[in-house]
Formats: sequence, C-alpha cells, structure tokens
Amino acid sequence: MAIAVTNSLDNTVERPGDRAPLVLGNTTYHNITESVCRIAETPPSKLWFFGFFIASSLATMFGLLIAYLLYMGVGVWGNRSPVFWGWPIVNFVFWVGIGHAGTLISAILFLFRQEWRTSINRAAEAMTIFAVVCAGTFPGIHVGRAWLAFWLAPYPSLNLWMWPQFRSPLLWDVFAVSTYGTVSLLFWYMGMIPDLATFRDRSKNKWRRMAYGILSLGWCGSSRHWMRYEKAYALLAALAAPLVLSVHTIVSFDFAVSQVPGWHTTIFPPYFVAGAIFSGFAMVLTLMIPARSIFKLEHLITIRHLDNMCKIILATGTIVGLAYGTEFFIAWYGQVPAEQFAFINRAFGPYWWAYWTMVTCNVVSPQLFWFKRLRNDPKLIFIITIFVNIGMWFERFVIVVTSLSRDYLPSAWKYFSPTWVDWGMLVGSFGLFFTLFLLFCRFMPVINMAETKATLSHQLRHANEHASH
Amino acid sequence: MKKNPEDPTLQLPASAARLAYPLIVGGIVMLAAGVLIGAVTSVGLRFALGSYLTAFMYCLTICLGATFFVIIQHLCRAGWSVTIRRLAELFMSAVPWLAILFLPILASLFLGNGTLYNWDSPEWIEANHREWATNSKGAFLTDWFFAVRACIYLGIWTVLATYFFKTSRRQDETAEIRLTEQMQAVSGPAVILFALSLTFAAFDWIMSLEPAWFSTMFGVYIFAGGILSAICAITVFVYLLQKGGALRQEVTVEHYHDFGKLIFGFITFWTYIAFSQFLLIWYANIPEETFWFGHRWAHGWQFVSLALVFFHWLLPFLGLLSRHVRRRPTLMFFWASYILVMHFVDIYWLIMPTVNPGNALGGALGIATTLLCTFGMIGLSVGAVLRNSQNAPLLPARDPRLHESLAFHNL
Amino acid sequence: MSAENAKHIHGYMAEFTSVDALLAACRRVRDAGYTKTDAYTPFPVHGIDEALGIKPTALPWIALGGGLTGTITAISMQIWMNGINYPYIISGKPYISLPAFIPVTFELTILLASFGAFFGMLILNKLPRFSNPLFTNSRFDGATDDKFFLYIAADDPRFKADGVKRLLTDAGGGAIDAVMDDESSDKLPRAFVTIAGVLAMLSIVPLLIAARMRVTNSSSPRFHIFYDMDFSPAKDAQKSTTLFADGRAMRTDVPGTVIHSGSEFGPDYYSGIDVDALAKIDPARAERLVRFNGQLPQDGEPTGNPPVTPPADEPVTPPADEPVTPPADEPVTPPADEPVTPPADEPVTPPADEPVTPPADEPVTPPADEPVTPPADEPVTPPADEPVAATAETPAAPAVVDTTPWLTENPLEVTRATLEKGQTQFNIYCAVCHGQNGRGRGLVNERAQKIQATSWVPPSSMHQPQLYDDKYPDGKLFSTISNGIRKMPGYSSQIKAADRWAIVAYVRALQLSQNASEEDVPLSARDAIVPAP
Repeated sequence: MAIAVTNSLDNTVERPGDRAPLVLGNTTYHNITESVCRIAETPPSKLWFFGFFIASSLATMFGLLIAYLLYMGVGVWGNRSPVFWGWPIVNFVFWVGIGHAGTLISAILFLFRQEWRTSINRAAEAMTIFAVVCAGTFPGIHVGRAWLAFWLAPYPSLNLWMWPQFRSPLLWDVFAVSTYGTVSLLFWYMGMIPDLATFRDRSKNKWRRMAYGILSLGWCGSSRHWMRYEKAYALLAALAAPLVLSVHTIVSFDFAVSQVPGWHTTIFPPYFVAGAIFSGFAMVLTLMIPARSIFKLEHLITIRHLDNMCKIILATGTIVGLAYGTEFFIAWYGQVPAEQFAFINRAFGPYWWAYWTMVTCNVVSPQLFWFKRLRNDPKLIFIITIFVNIGMWFERFVIVVTSLSRDYLPSAWKYFSPTWVDWGMLVGSFGLFFTLFLLFCRFMPVINMAETKATLSHQLRHANEHASH
Repeated sequence: MKKNPEDPTLQLPASAARLAYPLIVGGIVMLAAGVLIGAVTSVGLRFALGSYLTAFMYCLTICLGATFFVIIQHLCRAGWSVTIRRLAELFMSAVPWLAILFLPILASLFLGNGTLYNWDSPEWIEANHREWATNSKGAFLTDWFFAVRACIYLGIWTVLATYFFKTSRRQDETAEIRLTEQMQAVSGPAVILFALSLTFAAFDWIMSLEPAWFSTMFGVYIFAGGILSAICAITVFVYLLQKGGALRQEVTVEHYHDFGKLIFGFITFWTYIAFSQFLLIWYANIPEETFWFGHRWAHGWQFVSLALVFFHWLLPFLGLLSRHVRRRPTLMFFWASYILVMHFVDIYWLIMPTVNPGNALGGALGIATTLLCTFGMIGLSVGAVLRNSQNAPLLPARDPRLHESLAFHNL
Repeated sequence: MSAENAKHIHGYMAEFTSVDALLAACRRVRDAGYTKTDAYTPFPVHGIDEALGIKPTALPWIALGGGLTGTITAISMQIWMNGINYPYIISGKPYISLPAFIPVTFELTILLASFGAFFGMLILNKLPRFSNPLFTNSRFDGATDDKFFLYIAADDPRFKADGVKRLLTDAGGGAIDAVMDDESSDKLPRAFVTIAGVLAMLSIVPLLIAARMRVTNSSSPRFHIFYDMDFSPAKDAQKSTTLFADGRAMRTDVPGTVIHSGSEFGPDYYSGIDVDALAKIDPARAERLVRFNGQLPQDGEPTGNPPVTPPADEPVTPPADEPVTPPADEPVTPPADEPVTPPADEPVTPPADEPVTPPADEPVTPPADEPVTPPADEPVTPPADEPVAATAETPAAPAVVDTTPWLTENPLEVTRATLEKGQTQFNIYCAVCHGQNGRGRGLVNERAQKIQATSWVPPSSMHQPQLYDDKYPDGKLFSTISNGIRKMPGYSSQIKAADRWAIVAYVRALQLSQNASEEDVPLSARDAIVPAP
C-alpha cells in the first residue's frame, strides 16, 4: 500500500519540467477523506459559533431592514433624483461580481486543465451561489413593489395584458442572473454528489445517513456512472464558461447601452468580466485563508494555490487598470464634451475620494503580487484581498453614482448620500453571505474530495514513473 | 523521450525550404505591382494604400497573435504546447520584417496629404473638424507624432519577438533550464507591454482611418481576430509540415484536439467582442458612433457585414462544435484555412469601407490591387517564416517541459 | 448455477487498494470475456472505460437537444411576445430587434443545455436510486473513501460462482464477497412519511388559495399595500380635486410667471380667436387673452414681428416695455384663453360625475363614468353645432350658442412645407389615437377597444361633417388641439403654436383627401388614380 507521498512544505518553487505537487504531506486517499469529513463530523469550534452568531445577527438585521423597506417604501434609501440606482444597484453589481470566481474556477480552469483548482473549487462554487443570492436580493427589492417582482417573468397575465419588454437590458439581466444562479447551483450540487455519498457512508447516525443519502441520490461510484458524470461535468463546464462571461457582460449592458456619459463605452463588457473575476478571486482568498488555517487544510489548500490565485488577481487587476486608462484615453480622443466631463468629474469632481480609493485598491495594491515573497505570505494576501474587495465595491459606486449624479441636466445635479438603511443593508448582505458560508462549512464537504483524490492519484503515478526511471 | 535538435524530422522539409526566397522575391514583386496598379489606374492611390494596409494588418495580426501565444505559454508555464511552440515562434520571428513593411504607410503620410488617413489632410480637418486644428486631438493625430508612436509599437514588438525567439533558440544549444525561468519572468511585463502597444496601434492604424469614430473595445477586437488566426496559422503550418514528413511523432491528434478547442473558443471570443461592440453602438444609437456601422451597411458593404456574422461565426462555430471534427487533422486543416480567409474578410471590412465606401470590391482593377497586395504580403511573410525555419529545429528540443507535451493526453 | 441461487446473489465483488491493481484486474476480467461487469471507485479513474469496455455516452446529444430547444423557444417567444402579440415601440427599435433578443436567447440556450446535461446524466445513470444491493455490505462504504471494487454481475452469460471467485482472486482482489439482496425493510420510516406528507399538504395550501381566488369574487375591497402607490393623489387633466378651494386639479401659473415664448405674435395666433371681434362681444375675456399674450392687438406696435413668419423654435423674451406680469390684484395668470372656468366646450360644472348634457359641438360619448354611449356615427341630440357649448363667461348656462369669433383662416401660409410639417406632427402626436387617416382608429384606440377599457372615450373621426371648416372653424380646431377636449389633453405645452397651425392645415387636407371627388384632382395627376375594384 505505497500510496503516500512525502513532500516538503514549499511547493511554490517551480522546477521547469517537473510539476510541483498540489497535495502535500504524508497524504493518502483516506487521509483526504478524514481531513475533509472531520470538519462536518466533529462539533464546531467556539470560533465557528462566534462567527455564526455575528453573521446570522447581521443577516437577521438584513431581513428586518428589508421588512422595514417594504413597509415604508423605497424612500428610506438615499436614492434621490437623479441617482435612482444608488446603493442597491452598487451592491447588486458588487455581489454578482463576487459570484463569478466560483464558476470561473470550476469551469474555465477545468477546461484549461488547471489541476490546482480541485481543492478550492467547491468553496468557490458555494461562495458563488451565496453571492448570487445576495446579488439577487437587491434588484428584487429595488423594483419598489417587491411583491410584484414576478411581473418580470414572461407569463400570460390576466391582469396586465402585456408581455415583458425583451428589448430592455434590465430584462436580459433577469434572465442572465437567474440562469447563472440555476446553472451554478446545478454545477455545485453535481460536484458534491460523490462527496455527499462519502458523507453518507461515514455517517453513524441514522438521520444523518438518511439526509446525506437523499442528497447523494444513491451514488455508488460505478465506473459507468463516473463516465457519464465526467461527461456531464465537462459539458456543464463548457456551458458555464461562456455563461459566466455573459452574466457580467449583460450586467455591463445595463449601463453601456444607455447614453449616460461614463456608461456608454464599448469596453464595458470585457472590463466588467475582468473586474468580476478580480473581485471573485479576492473574495475566495478572503474566505479560504482563514478557513484553511481554522480547519487545518494547509496540506490541501497549499501556498501554491494561494500563489496561483494571487497571480490571477494581479493579471485581472492589471487588465482592469488598463481598461480605466483606455476609457480615459478614449473619452479624450472621442472629443465628446459630456464624456470628457464625466471622466474628469470622476477623478477630480466631488467623488474624487471614491475614484482614488478605487484606483489605489484595484490597480496599485495588486501590483504587490509581482513579488513572490508577498504572494506566499497568507496574512499579507488576506489584507490585500480585503483592499481589493473594497476597491471593487468602490468601482461600482464610482460607475453608478458619479455618472448619475452629474448627467446632462446640470439643474438636476445632486450629491448622493446614503442613509443608515443603505449602510445597514450593505453590512447585512455580508451577514447573509457569511451565514450561508458558515453553514456550508459545517454541513457540506468544503473540498472536492473525489477530485483531490484524482489529483493525488496522478501525482502518485507521476512519482512512480519517476521512480522507475 | 529526449529529442535531438539535429533529427531530420525536426528540420524544415527541403521542399518547403526551397520556397523561401522565391516567395520573398515574388511577394515583393506582387506588392509593388499591386500598389502600382492602384496608383496609376482609375483605382487611385488611396485605394491602393488601403489594400496595402489591409494586407499588412492581416499578416501583422497573425504574427502578433503568434507572439502573444508564445508569451502566454511562458506566462502560464504551459506544458501541452511545447511541441508546437516553435512554430508560433517562427511566425513571431517575421515581426521584424513586418516592421519594415510598415514604412510605406509612414512614407505616404509625409509625402502626401490625407492620402490614406483623413486627419493627415488640413483641408479635411478644416471642413469637418475645424476645432482639431487648435486642440490636443489635432496634435495627437499629426504625421510626425503618429510616426513616433508607430516606431514605439514596432520597436516593442521587434524586441519582444527577437528576445523570445533568440532565447528559445539558445536553449536548443545549451539546454539551460535557467532560460525557461528567465523567459517566464520576462513574460509578465511583456504581456502588459504587448497589450498596451497592440491597443494603441489598433487605435492609431485602423481606428483613426475614421478619425472621429471611437470605440474603447477596438484594441480587444483586433487582438481577438489576431490570436484566433495565429492559432489557425499554426494549425495549417503544422499540418503542412506533417504532410512534408516533419514532426509526425511529436505532434499528435491530441494537439490538434487542443487547437480545435482553442480555435472554437477564440471564435466565440471574437464573436463576443464583435457583438458587444455592435450591440452597444446600435442600441445607444448616437450619431457620432453609428455612422461607422452605417458605412458598413450600405453600397454592398452590408453583404460583407452579414458574411462576417454567418461565415466568421456561425459556420465555423457549428463546424467545430463536435469533438470528432477537432480530432481529425484534415478537418482541422480545412477549418483553420477557412478561418484564415475569414480573418482577411474581417480586416478588409475594418479598413476598406473608409477608403472605398462606394462599393465593397472596387471593380476588377480594385480586386486585382487587393489580391496582389494580399498575396504579395502573405508571400513575403511566409517566405520570411520559411527562411527563419531553415536554420532552426521545428521544436524546442531541449525545453524542460517537452516530455509533458509529448506525453500529453486530453481528458 | 441454480435458479434459486441467482435470486439471492446479484454478483461478486472484490476489493482492491490501488488504481493500478484495479485496472489490471479489469483488463483481465474483460479479456476473460465478462461483459456485465463494473468497477466502483472513489474518484474517476482514467483508462477504466477502455479496461472495462464501457461505450461512450449519448449525453452530448441530450445537451445539444436541450440547447437547441432553448434557442428556438427563446427566439420564438421573444418574437411572438414583443413583435406580434404585444407590439410596442421602445427607444425607436423595431418590434423584432434581433440584436436585442440575443442575450435572452443565449441564456435560455445555456440553461436548457445545462438541464439536458445534468438531468440527462441522472436519467442515464438511473439515479436517484436509494436502494442498491451493493449497499448491504458495509465493506462497500469504502468505495467512497479509499477502496476500489470490481464487480461481476450474476446475469453475465459466463457467470459461474466458483469461476468468478477464482478469477477475482487471481486478479489480485481481496475480500471477495457475494452481493446479496437487500433484506432490510423497504418501508420508509414512519416519521419520514409523516413529515413529508405534512409538508406536501402544506405546500398545496398556497396553491389552493391562489386557485380559489382566481375563480371567486370578493365583496371586500382589494388590499392595497401602499394605498398611495395604487391611488396616487396626482390628477389627470381636467379633473376636480378637493385639495384646492376652487376645486380645480389643473393649476394655473403662479403670479409673476414669465411666459417663455409666444409674445411676438398676436393673441389671435395663440388662441385661434379673432380678438378684435371678441372685444366687442366680451371685452373682459378679450382683455385676458390679450394680457396673456403681452400685447395689445389694436396698437400693433409692440414687437413689430409680422405674424406670418414664425421662427417658432426660438424662445423669445417679451419686450421689456410690455409688462407681462399681471397687476397685483389679479390672483392668477391664465395660461390660455379660458381663464378661470374650464374650457368652453367642456361641461362646466364640476364634479365630472354629475350627469351633464354632452357638449354639443360634436357627436360624442359622455365622460368616462357614464354608461357607454352609441358610437359616433349615430345621431346625437342636440344636433351638432346649433345649441352650442357654453361660453366661458356663463358657466351656469351650459346650452348657449358658441358666439366665440373663431378664426376662420389659418394664419400660416399653407404651403407644401407647412402641410408636410403638419403631417409629421400629426403622425407623431395625433395619429396614435386618431389614426393616420384621421378616422379615429389609432393604435391606442384599437388597444383600448381590445381590452374593453371602461374609461375610454373613442377619439373623434376627422371625417364627419361637423368637423369641416364651415362648422368647425380653423381657430376652434386650433383651440381644441391646444386645450384638449373631453379625454383628450391639451397639447399646447408639447407642440409649438406654428406646428399646431400646421396640423390644422394638415387636418383640412386630410378631410379633403377622404372626401374628394375626381374633379378635385389636378388633370395631370388623374392618370395615377386607380379605380376601386
């Protein structure tokens, strides 16, 4: 039973021609099962309860604020003429962006055969679902009469006598975000079926066994099943990859098809997508760095994983920076006064602080990742990713608020100020997000065991080949 | 698994090597003939220069796409692609040649007024955008500043192409692993330089043909077409080389499969970029932007536009959907060649409606000019690639990751 | 093998501890000719398909089918909903705007293709399957952890218990066990059934409530979450309100309001009334009209601009020597020719739901809240135009002859350009209700008729004799366009005066066009007339 590999803990050194191991320590298949199942099988730590208490309190506050909003009407927000989109839409775009990393890691990195995705994809996919839940809430309550939001669906209505307007980008959004939520859920759930079967087979408790038994749909690991399963997984990946790009593209269409200065620019689709990946990876790191140390998963989520993600953050951050620059250049080059004003106003107008926060956090701070030493320091990465999260929230703020508050009609110009409800909802949505994520960590397999075992198996074979040389 | 660079199956087949100089000479003759025919007949110098620019941009985008391909393989530490990376490097090695071929365009700026670029003509500016005469945009679009910028772009590309080609060749001799690490370290900044220079070159050289028009996406559009056709060109090249007896062991159906996936992916990417650009401009319907598409929807140009939709996207999209197609080298050769043709249509559609809005083809002489310029430029570039192949093995035989590529299997 | 045995034994499984051992055993079993075999592994093992002889799956075709269904559904849905069933012009885009339909098409394609891949996988795998004989052996729990199993089914044609056991042992398998029928009870736990049943029943309740509400009526008023969102205090044109003492919802301009344009032509031009003539009959009204326009027509001096060439798009500041602000003792500046009372051809006594005699100058339907009246072409009493509507000054007497001296001539020079301008404006503002031919059958009307809107008053046809210029002078038509009539709002704020006059000219041309005889057509153009079939 020579199924253990021993590695030194530094797998970030790349020796060309030799692939660095992605699973570290004296690891066996059983070892992987144990490390992952232990999290759900042992009672949670005090830290978990503490975190859950705070997060669920905030989530409750979010719920209460929504009730307050529904009772009082949307006037409790700071949305005033001319900034009617305000914070709810800023939060929406922010959360949708966060929701991109999961499916991106699962789908695109899968298609590019990046094996390092295996130990982070599950948590990232879960994060995607929860971020989409948070994202979907905001336009839902922003429509004003939230209980009539079903009017967005194309159903034969006996009251309205009409159909939704398919030429409107806002309706495209409805379809894009709901499709994305659904497909991400399928993808996440499908990836979990074999691992849920592992949970089932390890359950001592009858009820637990039954619950995981139902969730795992009677998975038995048959090779025929695996073959179709892998095909389905590859198909879903191939479908989800363009889908994930389309979602933020369509969100960018909400802005870019309009004529509002600062919004109507053709680079928006790829630039939004890059920004979404950027913020999504930052959020994955923000979550995974504490999680790997709390749950003792350092041998599965290795420094190399962090290193790779930092590189993606660096790349997408630079693309975003390039897009900011291109926008500025074309605003000048295009010689449209309103457009030129919009960009000057962004950087030097009343919201200059938001713009420069955005530039500092999104473009400058990731540049630290050029240095390997900084990419390999989890504490520092954690801090930078938080900056990136802040920066990406501000990016959406800059786009939504700056452009709307200074449109074509100077008599309507107004400085936007959020109310306490705006603040509460932003914080509350984080509460909802973390509540769901903590529940996920407690009850679901946080790491894709089956795929990690497959990675380990490749690694073992590779080691055997080398040994036989 | 070890490969010897001197292995005859890793050398350019003699039949191809013989073609190098005839192609270069023939290319120069055809290019000169094309421009001359345009200049002296009713076609006009403007059309001829437009055809020249079209042919130039066609070859340049392919070679720049190959450059990007090489840089990104180093950046990602890719293992699968090592056996075909040298072919991309060979296309890349034609970039310095193309840099010289841009000189006629620059010369036309200094020798005439507004022959090709409207902003170069004071009369045009006076009539259409009088304010540019005094403001910063006018200062940006002047012939000397344009030339300075062009030299910067061409310089960046020449340096990048030469560096990566030379270093890779040196590894053939010395087998130093350090060189791989070095190229990987350079690839990060290189990709940023590349992105910046390509974006601005696209703005300068194609977008400014219509000086009032602007689209932030334009650089990305050029990039999408370039990388797509570069991969197609590599596929075509590798197929022909295998026909000629080289690389038969090293490049397998698995590599074709990956080319197929990449081509499919980049067709989708190109469509995504093209559609987004169109949709945003069509939907907002602002006159200063829509006129550009308006030119491409009149006087026969609408058929070219529609051809792009159906034959640059739909047909190859459906054709490459199936895994079985992607695993057949002959079919892959067909589709790759097909997309190379469509890439030409794409570049033609970008440049010529400005030069020749009246009709899409420009009459028999116009067609002759276009074809002569195009085939001349292609002959010249292919000749350059073949010439550079003569003294280089067709794969980086001592790359430390070669064994991964040789043993590579798709899932 | 005996038949009895086969009932209980489903097959044999052997345990392996490494991928390589399993693969070797698989090849061996395959080479021995067994076909009903399977391997169970904790992760997908590459090469096992070939080692076991598993054929590729048809799943991609299912996904493709799903995707195509999505594409076709989305395109046809959008074309039908926005292009055919409910055509509606938005942002100047065609009804069927294919570029704008692509995003939703793309999303639905992906969605249904994903459903195809996911549910297709489940169906082909025959999942969910909660009871599996393999699960009876607790050793098999290792198949999701770190153990590998090779299984040979009893219904394999070559199956012989001893032979299979020997083969598996030779292939290196450990712990060779027979897979037996699941002997445990196949009944679901009672608590599970109870909970599931209760949940299922509860989940029906909202549906039942919704279904019931669909088919029943309720006498209690509808529940409004935000009353003021459903019933806004905002009022439509020509409505009364309790908010102001005078009962009028439409407010006049605040004293001191400077009229932005409109002082350079005479009040005739802006009111459609011959003010000189009016001054003789009703000096007070004439004076208000004149003051509103900021100049005295008798003098003719103030602006010097001839009223014939209207540079209407230039806002004109009133001349400084002409005070526009009314004297301080006048509380309101009337915006139009009708100062304080409602327009002349409206029933003058608010509120509107009292029964009123219909205004007499047109065959009309009464206000909305009355039962529907006969269509416009039926004879209506009082006969048109004779007992004419109330004048502004006598609100208490509704049936008084309209003595207003309306202009009978269009002050604009009627040229081709004027008519084309009028046509454009008519088609923009009027045709949506009145129809492009003026017969009162515009899109809004058609829609209102289709959904049987109860408060809808059909727009008048321009082609009834009461509206010809002998009965309905140009000035009156102009006034109607400016100030509205019945449900029709006034357009003075949206259409410039010159354009309103152009519309008047066009309406006259339209009337002529629909009532012309052959003699009206110039000789040169008669050949173009195609006789009606």
